[in-house]
Amino acid sequence: MYKTFIIIQREYLTRVRKKTFIISTLLFPILYVGLIFGMGFLAENSKQNLNIALIDQSGYFKQVDLDRENTLDPSSKISLVTERATDVLKDPEAAGYDGFIRLPKLDWRQGSDQIFIEAKKSYGSGTTATVEAKLNRIWNRIKNDSLSIDENKQVILQASQLSVRSKNMDDASSNANIAEVIGYVAGLLIYLILLIYGSQVMMGVMEEKTNRIAEVLVSSVRPFQMMMGKIIGIGLVALTQFLLWIGFVLIVYNVSKASGESMSAATVMVGKMQQVFTGINVPLILFCFGFYFLGGFFFYSSLYAAIGSAVNEDLREAQSLSFPITMLVIISIALMSTATANPTGPIAVWASIIPFSSPIVMMARIPYGVPGTVPWWQLGLSMVMLVIGFLGTVWFAGKIYRTGILMYGKKPTWGEMLKWVFRKS
Amino acid sequence: MAELLQVQHLKKYFANQKAVDDISFSVEEGSIFGLLGPNGAGKTTLIRMITGIFYPDAGQITFQGKPFDPIHDVRHIGYMPEERGLYKKMKIGEHALYLAQLKGLSRSDAMRQVKIWFERLEMESWWNKKVEDLSKGMSQKLQFVSTVLHEPRLIILDEPFSGLDPVNSNLIKDEIHRLAKNGSTIIFSTHRMEQVEEICQQIILVNRGQKILDGTVNSIKQQYKQSQYRIGIPALNEAHLAEAPFELIQSKENEQIVRIADGKSSNDVLRFLIDRSIPVHSFVEILPSLNDIFIRLVEDTPVTRQFQPA
Repeated sequence: MYKTFIIIQREYLTRVRKKTFIISTLLFPILYVGLIFGMGFLAENSKQNLNIALIDQSGYFKQVDLDRENTLDPSSKISLVTERATDVLKDPEAAGYDGFIRLPKLDWRQGSDQIFIEAKKSYGSGTTATVEAKLNRIWNRIKNDSLSIDENKQVILQASQLSVRSKNMDDASSNANIAEVIGYVAGLLIYLILLIYGSQVMMGVMEEKTNRIAEVLVSSVRPFQMMMGKIIGIGLVALTQFLLWIGFVLIVYNVSKASGESMSAATVMVGKMQQVFTGINVPLILFCFGFYFLGGFFFYSSLYAAIGSAVNEDLREAQSLSFPITMLVIISIALMSTATANPTGPIAVWASIIPFSSPIVMMARIPYGVPGTVPWWQLGLSMVMLVIGFLGTVWFAGKIYRTGILMYGKKPTWGEMLKWVFRKS
Repeated sequence: MAELLQVQHLKKYFANQKAVDDISFSVEEGSIFGLLGPNGAGKTTLIRMITGIFYPDAGQITFQGKPFDPIHDVRHIGYMPEERGLYKKMKIGEHALYLAQLKGLSRSDAMRQVKIWFERLEMESWWNKKVEDLSKGMSQKLQFVSTVLHEPRLIILDEPFSGLDPVNSNLIKDEIHRLAKNGSTIIFSTHRMEQVEEICQQIILVNRGQKILDGTVNSIKQQYKQSQYRIGIPALNEAHLAEAPFELIQSKENEQIVRIADGKSSNDVLRFLIDRSIPVHSFVEILPSLNDIFIRLVEDTPVTRQFQPA
């Protein structure tokens, strides 16, 4: 145990002290926040400030109404053109407009789907939608007036809707939309950990082999201790990174809650998170996340370690040999999309019990509610299966590792590696 | 002297070859023992069993008078494999400490030992350097220190001088002698015969998984000598040669190399020369070098193609 601990310590410290670890840990949240704010900022600024001429042959539109809408939404300016309409039609840019809308003769009972912003350039759906919304607000008033619907009736018409959502009979608090987001994020995070840190384990083992330090080490420690030390050490690095990120999220949450309305995107996030924290069973999800993170990590990283031990310095060899394992992870994420769409379907249930996909798929289902969507027996069975699964892969990988770590020369096939597993020691 | 290590009928078969096929030998405490053989002879497999990396298929290993227990006895063994390396990104001091701790030393013991050895080999100033900045000779030195700093009873060195310049070779050689004098036992595996003659007291020669020679360097040379002598006399004429009790192998101006005929002794040769008043300046028996014996013994086996004498 002492020796395994020494190995864990080295694997952990050398990685955590590396600049790349510090940079990636800091950069990820910065990029993430940057993405959120940047998207908001870009969305605000990417709308074109359009100056559009409205040539109205229907006679419904008045400049007063347009002016009021223009001040409400300054992203576009629509002006009624009555004089010199032919000049505008011929060359809108010379007349000082980006484009024009020619409204045909209209009946207020029918409307029209043949209205275009005609311009020298093409505009995206985001831009046309704002213009469309503007015209429709005026159009609604015209319809209301024609039908003699007063303000009170309008309020009723707008507010009175039937909305349908899913509600689980066993989990009064569960909210399908939020559960979907949380499940998706949790599954995706585990997917990323498995791929990124799994390949780190593989590279670490390969490094020991190419450095020719493997034989120096095996004369002091058992190969199994070496492998477990590496897997646990790197797993702790992943865990550290996560705890730092969770800490970061909590800090941002608290800071932006305290600063109130100042940052619009952040406050939206805070509001969402408040909903999240009240709507779901946070301790259970965190516990399960920890469990499936560790279980999945042991399951896959021991396989990656086995491959790292079997190949030589050639990275392409490692890639081709690890392809089937990477495929399992990718299949899991595909199954997860099915599971989030239909969390009680047979695919979701079985994929969350079978160990190779359960870390990702089960994490996507749990936020929907335990024991509502995921009955206790399924959760229990899935956890037991995962433990059996990773004990199996660790045993399997240990056998390959023991032989592979001292083998140099040609790349073994999967068949040869299976022979290493099942022959006597 | 007591025997530190005894190997009896050790066997290790791999799928397509008998890597070690019934080898027995014993190593005396405090001696420097040579394990020789061409590449692919089974030396490394043999060593891996003695260091607990492989389990033997059959046979026994006795270490310090008790059956060898890999888990506990590795503490008393230091092994420098032929395929040896270090973590490139680690600092040298940290690296030495790490390897010492993996041998089971506590951090404070490890620190004390590393300091003693770094001082002895003048490496103190390297402590914070990174391994990747070391020259090959320097990293060999670090590897050697890592092998011996937990004060093992048995030190196994596989080709310890490969890639070392003469200065560093001598430094390591001196340390090997010093360690042996202080009671450590050293197994020295190589195919470089001149080093073996210089360092080892006892050797075994392994070829194709089997032991083909066992004994002290001197007894083996005696065993394989071919009655050849170097005699300081002028060149002999035809008449003398015809009746001489020896056969001329090589002739120089004042030195003749001869093989004594079967049934004759060195005294017969001297008597023959004195009777004919030929002045003898010197008379020395030529012992075969280990290299010659080695080549003679392994020459006809298929693996010798891989073997290049130094």
